[in-house]
Amino acid sequence: MTTTGAAESIRPRISFYENQGRHNGILAWILTQDHKRIGILYFIFVMAFFFSGVVLGFFMRLQMIAPGGAIMKPQTYNSLFTLHGIIMIFLVVIPAIPTIFGNFFLPIQIGARDVAFPRINLLSWWLYISGAAIVALSVFTGEGPPDTGWTFYTPYSLRTTVNVPLAVFGLFILGMSSILTGVNFVTTTHRLRAPGMTWHRLPLFVWAIYSTSWVQILATPVIGVTLALIMIERFFGVGVFDPAKGGDPILYQHMFWIYSHPATYIMILPAMGIVSDIIPVFARKKIFGYMAIAISGVAIAAVGSLVWGHHMFVSGQSDFAALLFSLLTFLVAIPSAIKVFNWVATLHKGSIVLEPPLLFCLAFIFLFSIGGLTGLIQGALAPNVHLHDTYWIPGHFHYIIFGGMGFGLFAAFHYWFPKMFGRMYNRKMAVWAWVIMLIGFNIFYFSMLLLGWEGMPRRYYDYLPQFRTLHLTATFGSWILVAGLIVMFANLFRGLFTGEKAKDNPWDASTLEWQIPSPPPTENFEEIPVIQRGPYDFKEFDQNG
Amino acid sequence: MKPEEEVRKTRYQTYALVWVTLIILTGITLSAAGRELGGWTVLIALVIAGTKSGLVLNYFMHLRSERLTVFKVIIPLVLAVFLVFILLTFSDLAFRGGVK
Amino acid sequence: MDETTAFALEGQRDATGARLGMWLFILSEILLFGGLFILYSAYRYKNPVDFHHASRELDVILGTLNTIILLTSSLSMAASIAAIQRSQRKLSMVLLIATMALGLFFLLNKGFEWGAKMEHGIYPNAPTLLARAKGEILFFGLYYVMTGLHGLHVLVGVCVLLVMLILLSKGKVRSTHFTPLENSGLYWHLVDIIWIFLYPLFYLIS
Repeated sequence: MTTTGAAESIRPRISFYENQGRHNGILAWILTQDHKRIGILYFIFVMAFFFSGVVLGFFMRLQMIAPGGAIMKPQTYNSLFTLHGIIMIFLVVIPAIPTIFGNFFLPIQIGARDVAFPRINLLSWWLYISGAAIVALSVFTGEGPPDTGWTFYTPYSLRTTVNVPLAVFGLFILGMSSILTGVNFVTTTHRLRAPGMTWHRLPLFVWAIYSTSWVQILATPVIGVTLALIMIERFFGVGVFDPAKGGDPILYQHMFWIYSHPATYIMILPAMGIVSDIIPVFARKKIFGYMAIAISGVAIAAVGSLVWGHHMFVSGQSDFAALLFSLLTFLVAIPSAIKVFNWVATLHKGSIVLEPPLLFCLAFIFLFSIGGLTGLIQGALAPNVHLHDTYWIPGHFHYIIFGGMGFGLFAAFHYWFPKMFGRMYNRKMAVWAWVIMLIGFNIFYFSMLLLGWEGMPRRYYDYLPQFRTLHLTATFGSWILVAGLIVMFANLFRGLFTGEKAKDNPWDASTLEWQIPSPPPTENFEEIPVIQRGPYDFKEFDQNG
Repeated sequence: MKPEEEVRKTRYQTYALVWVTLIILTGITLSAAGRELGGWTVLIALVIAGTKSGLVLNYFMHLRSERLTVFKVIIPLVLAVFLVFILLTFSDLAFRGGVK
Repeated sequence: MDETTAFALEGQRDATGARLGMWLFILSEILLFGGLFILYSAYRYKNPVDFHHASRELDVILGTLNTIILLTSSLSMAASIAAIQRSQRKLSMVLLIATMALGLFFLLNKGFEWGAKMEHGIYPNAPTLLARAKGEILFFGLYYVMTGLHGLHVLVGVCVLLVMLILLSKGKVRSTHFTPLENSGLYWHLVDIIWIFLYPLFYLIS
């Protein structure tokens, strides 16, 4: 089953980077149908957008470092937080793990040579780039970028004269990309599993990507049509969300959040899948409760689609709806808690190997738990009245999204780096980066939670003097966090070019991607494997490979 | 070798029969519209439309002859999702004045 | 959970997989229109009288004719696939052309309908319309958006069928490989189903 030994050294190893198809140079990449190349393409651009989002955030924090801060006009600040949200949510966090690691590893982990529809996969990438370009266009043309917040609430989004239609059109295109990726991954998982790869033997990362893909297919169209309606409203004055014509702005919010809440599960489920794959390897132990984790992912996707009204408790919806949504919000915490419990149970009495991938997973568990618990507080109706639209909310979601998904993404970087690039990074530096980021992160975002608790409103470009200490602390924390990010990315970047060559299976892991060369050849496998054991069956693996 | 896809050939006759049924149902829904049915109007219209769609799905789109589980699941799934979206939205709209 | 032959072998086309992908895409289309149907039900619930009133201005005869047109086009579409399964290429192409013609006929009628409305000053943001009750403004807003989006899908469908016609004529779609035609058929039937719901909800509520 393993590809070690003499046979390997005789055979020439041509990685997917070197293999030349019909095209040459850059065309061989942007016209590729190889899922691995497409994953790398996404990697480059998602990271580029991440950096621009961080820069925007950096300047936001600079404005907020002291009251009366005047490094920018109020209008600029409004555009900054709008763009920061749009870029981070739609260009980074929603696509990142599925498009980078789903693309690269889903086919390999199920024993396939590629996805079900390679050309549609390429189309997805082109739609992503086009959508991003259109959003960028909205920043630099006309009256400038949107200032509505990434939520585009009506009627303001119908009236403001800045580039709302253009930005929203870009997002519409991005939505199409997401839907097609979802279709591709679901079909791939159903149709291209290797012989013996039953649903119960799939790595939990695959289960996570699979559940996420369903949400992508089913929820994205709703925001698609909602965004289309904003454009139609602005150009034709249809009146569907315009109170002056009988429209209901709260209905807009319903339609918007019907996607945007499940979108947060598109963000977190793949990260949870990564954690579920990594922990068994570094605890050298079968995952505790495989089925529970797999099904809880499906449950999160399902129940998570029922809670969107918790973004609207103070918007004017009925008390009855508020009660219902609050109850459902509490319910959706349960499957997440099951996952956390199972991960910790896996670590318990395991042979722990404290490597960077595991460290990032541990950080994930810690930060995600804080984020989740704060979510319960704001999910309760009475506290929500005080906390809504204060700094508590961004505090909460940065813990969940950045602390959760972000650190899960970093865990994936450090876990799969050797496989994708054939090199290893400096592990010590990675740990230092991790320490710095953790410290900066908590100083920054915990201050936000406190600020919100004290009543500091969000999306304000200035504030009362009583908040100055916490704001100063938060900005300070943000600098430490950014420093940590720089160290991490510099370390990975350096490892890319001068890191030592990595072994095919440096972590001694048992899922399929570790049984092929690093980096993989274009065809992934010499022969499609026949699967005879589970993904975390270390006893079996150590004996028979 | 992968087993050949079973060629599920539907008879032209079947298609014609389905079409006739669809036209009849259209006639029924048209005539029902002319009557005073109060609160039942929407429900009847939806039931007829649902029936017509079911015929198109099962016979014209061959859903009936699909064997795999996933095909059997997808239409109920999308209906359930839509239902949930609309019901929860109405939990707001229908109770704005408070629960009676 | 699943099936016997879950793996597609090398170099083999996977017709079932292609069909599954198309169905999943159709699910997303259903929810695209679904969003609009949610809006429709919300506004009809809030403005029942206005909706009833406004609906009377729509031409039931044209609407019914269009319904019959689309239902018949679904028949010819399904028959076209049945024909190529039986290697009756010419018949398949004729039926496909019939489907496209019916689709274009549908769009023609729609164009007439819209034109007539617009002449009477009933279109989004028209002063005549804005002077009416809020519920009526919303009714016509939804009417234009939903039938417009649907019409766009019909147009795209006709274009797709044109491509299929070409592939059929070249023998690229044939009795041993007709998945593209089948998938195009699925799309076409979806467009029919959406209209099956639009018809009573816009034309028959009086």
